[in-house]
Amino acid sequence: MELSRRDALAALSAAGIAATAGCSSLLGDEGTETAAEETDEATATATDAPTDAPTETPADEASSMDTMVALAEVLYPSEVEPTESFVQTYLYGRIYAEEAYAGEVDSGIETLNGLANDEAGDDFHALSADERVSVIENTDLRTGDSVHDGSDVERVNYHLVDELLFAFYSSPVGGEMVGTQNPRGFPGGYGYSPPLDQ
Amino acid sequence: MSSTQTDDTDKTPVEDPDVCVVGAGPAGALLSHRLAKRGHDVVILEAGPRFDMEERVERMKRQIHPERGVDEIWDMGGERDEYTVSSDIPMPLNKRRAKGVGGTSLHWGSVVPRFRERDFEMESRHGVGKDWPISYGDLRPYYAEAEQEIGVAGPDEAPHQPPREEGYPMDPLPESYADKLYAKAGDALGIDVQPMPMAINTGAYDRNECQGHGTCEHVCPSGGKYTADIHVEKAEQEGATVITEVPVQRLEHGPDGEEITEAVYKTPDGETHRQTADVFVAAAGAYETPRLLFLSESDQYPNGLANSSGTLGKYFMDHSGGLVVGFLPGLEHSTTEYGPVISSGVFQFYDDDEAPTGGINMMLLNGAEPPIATVAMTSDEIGDELLEKIDLQAGNSIGLTLSTETLPREDNTITLDRSKTDNNGNPVLDVDFSVGQYAIDATEKGVSEFTDMVEELGGTVVLSQGTHTLNKADEFIEQTEGGYHPMGGTRMGEDPTESVVDPTLKTHDLENLYISGGGVFVTGGASNPTLTIMALSLKAADHIDEELQG
Repeated sequence: MELSRRDALAALSAAGIAATAGCSSLLGDEGTETAAEETDEATATATDAPTDAPTETPADEASSMDTMVALAEVLYPSEVEPTESFVQTYLYGRIYAEEAYAGEVDSGIETLNGLANDEAGDDFHALSADERVSVIENTDLRTGDSVHDGSDVERVNYHLVDELLFAFYSSPVGGEMVGTQNPRGFPGGYGYSPPLDQ
Repeated sequence: MSSTQTDDTDKTPVEDPDVCVVGAGPAGALLSHRLAKRGHDVVILEAGPRFDMEERVERMKRQIHPERGVDEIWDMGGERDEYTVSSDIPMPLNKRRAKGVGGTSLHWGSVVPRFRERDFEMESRHGVGKDWPISYGDLRPYYAEAEQEIGVAGPDEAPHQPPREEGYPMDPLPESYADKLYAKAGDALGIDVQPMPMAINTGAYDRNECQGHGTCEHVCPSGGKYTADIHVEKAEQEGATVITEVPVQRLEHGPDGEEITEAVYKTPDGETHRQTADVFVAAAGAYETPRLLFLSESDQYPNGLANSSGTLGKYFMDHSGGLVVGFLPGLEHSTTEYGPVISSGVFQFYDDDEAPTGGINMMLLNGAEPPIATVAMTSDEIGDELLEKIDLQAGNSIGLTLSTETLPREDNTITLDRSKTDNNGNPVLDVDFSVGQYAIDATEKGVSEFTDMVEELGGTVVLSQGTHTLNKADEFIEQTEGGYHPMGGTRMGEDPTESVVDPTLKTHDLENLYISGGGVFVTGGASNPTLTIMALSLKAADHIDEELQG
């Protein structure tokens, strides 16, 4: 299943980014749709991205997106394909709206690339999936602490790894894979009331 | 710890206001609005900031992130909020309260049952505690007003409720999947499961409707959950002034010792200001209000203000209770998918005459597990292994948050810890609380009834902690620890030798000082205290209005 820009918009809704300044042009008219409406088309593909999506991505940010997609690919279930459109749409608003977060992404990728080069001799996004998994398994990524103002690796865990996990598991596309369309943190409406099993 | 930026609003006192309210939480907000609406000039002094609504999602993300503490959600902690606990149960106060416009209602679960008739007359009925100087009937119209003000969704026709003259402002929340499971178990066991009154907007009120984030406690990003900043803002629209980030250091009285003349407060840049007023209302919560009165000691009142009875800080109460989690394998639907965390409860064992007589308030949870994003972030796994791990445990939990009655005892106290000071050099509060057998008996009853419900549904209890397992308090998870519902310490009574405030909430000792908040409770019942705090505050507002008119 390809994770689309629409999935990212749903995830953004959980993250409240749609409400922040600077994102309206990114979201366009779709930004006014409800999250629930967005999720009706959760399986739509990246090709559905409207023309007002960011089209000019600076080179360094393109590389950032490559790294974030590469990270998401090993964090998320194999059944889903976290496209650049998904990651870019989810993160672009934050990177532009929050200078501090953009800094965390830049320095986090530098840290990640340092670990990747030590482990497998290349930047993270250039490694095979197995090599990326090895980088995570052989370092304090995941197993180490996740601290918003901690050490370099702790910050990668908090601002990159956990942010991508929040994006996926606080949105319907991640929730549905474990049986809920409205995981906690996602504004999927209230009052869902299926009948009891017989 | 605070990440909130100091604002640049005017911190200077208001000239000659009628009323000065200390605290912009639920105990001060409705009262301030009512008085301002009736034409009185009101100033509210708030220790904390005014939080930006747009930051609420970020605060919710702190709640979901496993490495962020509950105290971080509303920027609690640091020297400003220091305290000492001498209790026999862990009481992480800064994970139980918030300082800022809206107060702890920013953080609450919005569960708003009324106190029962018996709660006001426990001594007469059961020979325990002490009767209140007012009855349920005295407070009943104010309950209705408070419910109208904040917007409560609740059941008009349900068993085990105190008498009402009119319906709730909104229909109850829809029955959740978990509620249906609870009802099924209840039917089999003879237990009445009923809708829980919740201060959540289902569409009728002039604030956003619930959007189902499922994080009511401790952050509602949509604003569907009532928070008292709503009435602070309404008070401002009626002409009230709010001064934020100005913790009141002490109240000062005139030379005859009969009236408060000034509230002395500090600004973030260290300046000291003095706010005069005709009437003062201490509404800083049941932890900080006794502390403020102790800190206001003078030559004339060496044991603290309003303490001629010697009961200031005494008869402190917190609800007992605990948390029980049941695991039900093989459910067709997720119990967490619903939105609000609570929509039903059991009140059948609250005011029956069978032993134990202690009040029992059983709040039934729409899932009792961490958010799946929290599990994802907590885990070491990635990819398919992570998904498998989450899937194993997601959506199959039910749970009970139990609130039970603790008797008022003279030796349960809020005092000053003079060995520790806050950022302004003032001694911090010390809370010394133990629960007693009465509360243990009620807790065991509630836990037993819920355990039967879990087993009736074919499930297994996987966690059961609280007052019934105090011998293992060092193993408590954070949610089980105490401090949620502080009450008493400035109790109400007719007799000035036995109480701090009279039935109008005016202190016996100072003729223009009122106390609004859970501190004035004589007994604690088992209902979540905030609605009763609000009802009492509206009653006090009427008395203050009359006095100012006179």
